Amino acid sequence: MSSPLAAPISVAPAARSAGARDGTDPQRVLADRVEQLYSQMPQGVVVTLIIGAIATYQLSDDRIRQLALFWWAIVLLVSAARGALYYGYRRSAHKLAEAKQWLRWLGISALANGTIWGFAGAVFFPSRLDEQQVFLAFLLAGITSAGIPAYAASWPMFATYGAAIVLPFTYVLATFGNPLFRELALLVPLFYLANVGIAYRLNQVFFSGYRLRHAYGRLTEDYTALNKRLEQQLVELDEARRQVEASGRKLALFAERAPIAVLELDADGRIQRLNQAAEHLFGWSSRELVQDNASMKVLVHPEYHAQFDAQWQQLIATRTPVAHLRFRNPRRDGLELVCEWNVTPLVNPEGGVVGVIAQGQDITRQLEAEQMKKEFTSTLSHELRTPLTSIIGSLQLVNSGVLGEVDKDVLELTNVAERNSQRLLDLINDILDIEKIESGKLTLMPELLALDELVAESLVLNKGFAERFQVRYEARGTLLPVQVKADRKRLLQVMTNLLSNAAKFSPHGEPVEIIMEDRGAGVRVGVRDRGPGIPESFRGRIFGRFAQADSSMTREKGGTGLGLAICKRLIELMDGRIGYADREGGGTVFYFDLPKHGAA
Amino acid sequence: MPAQPLNRICYVEDDEDIQKIVRMSLERIGKMTVEVVSDPLQAIEAIKAFRPELVMLDWMMPGMDGPTLFRKMKELPGVRELPVVFITAKASQTELDELRALGAAGTISKPFSPRDLPEQLRAIWSKLP
Repeated sequence: MSSPLAAPISVAPAARSAGARDGTDPQRVLADRVEQLYSQMPQGVVVTLIIGAIATYQLSDDRIRQLALFWWAIVLLVSAARGALYYGYRRSAHKLAEAKQWLRWLGISALANGTIWGFAGAVFFPSRLDEQQVFLAFLLAGITSAGIPAYAASWPMFATYGAAIVLPFTYVLATFGNPLFRELALLVPLFYLANVGIAYRLNQVFFSGYRLRHAYGRLTEDYTALNKRLEQQLVELDEARRQVEASGRKLALFAERAPIAVLELDADGRIQRLNQAAEHLFGWSSRELVQDNASMKVLVHPEYHAQFDAQWQQLIATRTPVAHLRFRNPRRDGLELVCEWNVTPLVNPEGGVVGVIAQGQDITRQLEAEQMKKEFTSTLSHELRTPLTSIIGSLQLVNSGVLGEVDKDVLELTNVAERNSQRLLDLINDILDIEKIESGKLTLMPELLALDELVAESLVLNKGFAERFQVRYEARGTLLPVQVKADRKRLLQVMTNLLSNAAKFSPHGEPVEIIMEDRGAGVRVGVRDRGPGIPESFRGRIFGRFAQADSSMTREKGGTGLGLAICKRLIELMDGRIGYADREGGGTVFYFDLPKHGAA
Repeated sequence: MPAQPLNRICYVEDDEDIQKIVRMSLERIGKMTVEVVSDPLQAIEAIKAFRPELVMLDWMMPGMDGPTLFRKMKELPGVRELPVVFITAKASQTELDELRALGAAGTISKPFSPRDLPEQLRAIWSKLP
């Protein structure tokens, strides 16, 4: 059997569509029966032809030769038609969907087949010799019973086939005029009915067989699908397991190979695991600390134990990670380190702390470096400023004229020297300021002050700048009597910076305008110049360190490039903000906003 | 404000260059009389002898620093009433505040401007009780 429908079990279940599996089972049983019926067809045709040939030979004497040949022609025709039907069925691509149609055609072919033999019985029986009649009767009985296995898959088909043979023959027997034949005519239909009954029973058996086969097929199919799914799930599970393992390994590797000390502690602070960096850092082996159930406190200087306990309790209570904890940590060899710790509690879904990960970084060297920097800054501050005091002081005395008339060329040079000494001093002061601000060591002395008075004072203090660059400082509009909380000295420093910048970049003879604006909760002080504006390329870094748009400007007009960076940080320390905008008609306005005192 | 204008000043400073500049500034521009002392250990004797109206102290000096000398002065009757101004290159705001709290009359930071120094001292002088 080569048809896929005839052998459902051998077909891979995956190839079946879900619809065919669930919805069309009766159709498939039918198709299987049709397949069974058609599979018998070639034998049927061959048997028909053989027996037909024998019958033709036996029955064709001179009297009815033509009739016998005619019959033989019909046999050939019907057999050819059946062959064609068989061929058509085999070639059909829609055996399943068109099963009913194929069954109908088969029914017609069975009727035709039966009719051939019925015709033979009806036509040849009356005109024969006794022995030939016996032959014919025997033949018809055989042909009829042969129909049982051939059409067992469909008892109505056998009934049709059998009826086509038996009815004409019975009629001939009944009307022959022979009492024996009349009795036979009564018996033949009984035999026929008995045969139909057998066919029906067989049919039932076939039918349940088919159903069983299908049920089994489906079971196998389901089982295979289940198996496949199980297999798939097993593969997925295995993959998931491998991924978890891999990420676990990766995590372990991260901790193990991290350059910082990583310790896993239990909820009581006992060391569960530590990485290589921790072993190297503190000089204890992982085995010693873990086996002794050592507390993390072993690694903390006794002086810090109270602080450690307090922090630990808070950590367990709040279950929130804590960063940048600094402790002095003793090494096994007695040396001491300062480490900065990040501590993260591991919390289970129920909210309990199951462990704590502590990551420690040795900052001893960093602290040493900071100390060195501090010493350097102090040296810079004192050792550079002291000689500069003498230089600037001497030059100022010469240039002030109190020492008597000085030659013009000499005076010019001493002025150059004074200006450049001043620049050097400004640079040192700015560097110290920036350093102080960035290390967070700059402490402001905020006081309540009248901003308008401070602005006015800054204009007086910076008059020298205006004169030097031949510009005028002009307050535009009234200076608003607003009180702010700010560091007086530092705010003056900001004003000096903004005013001196404006003076430097303004064309000679032009005014530099100072404005004050009420901005609700804040107040703005702006300094407008009529300079060339700020080049596009410079805008992004104007408040950066050592920022100057044009380095040739440094030589020409002085300035360290740190001024605005310092201003920005100072103003921000005073809760304000600094900015700039293009001024209509050319030039720039630099401004800072400060919150008004008392305003929310 | 004291009745008489500021005239006699004693300056304790170990750096000879700065001594010269301060002396010139105060004498030539400020038209004051200046006594400079190089050794802080001899300062108190010199002050007693010179009888200044105001004392200027450097902060960092070998032997004894300005604040220590200041505290010593505060222990001596006849000297402790003198107004003291610190002139220093290195001083944090908190340290300056501390000195003010101890009774320093004022502070002038280095580098100072010799042109303005007499004026700065007179401003401090004018604010004294």
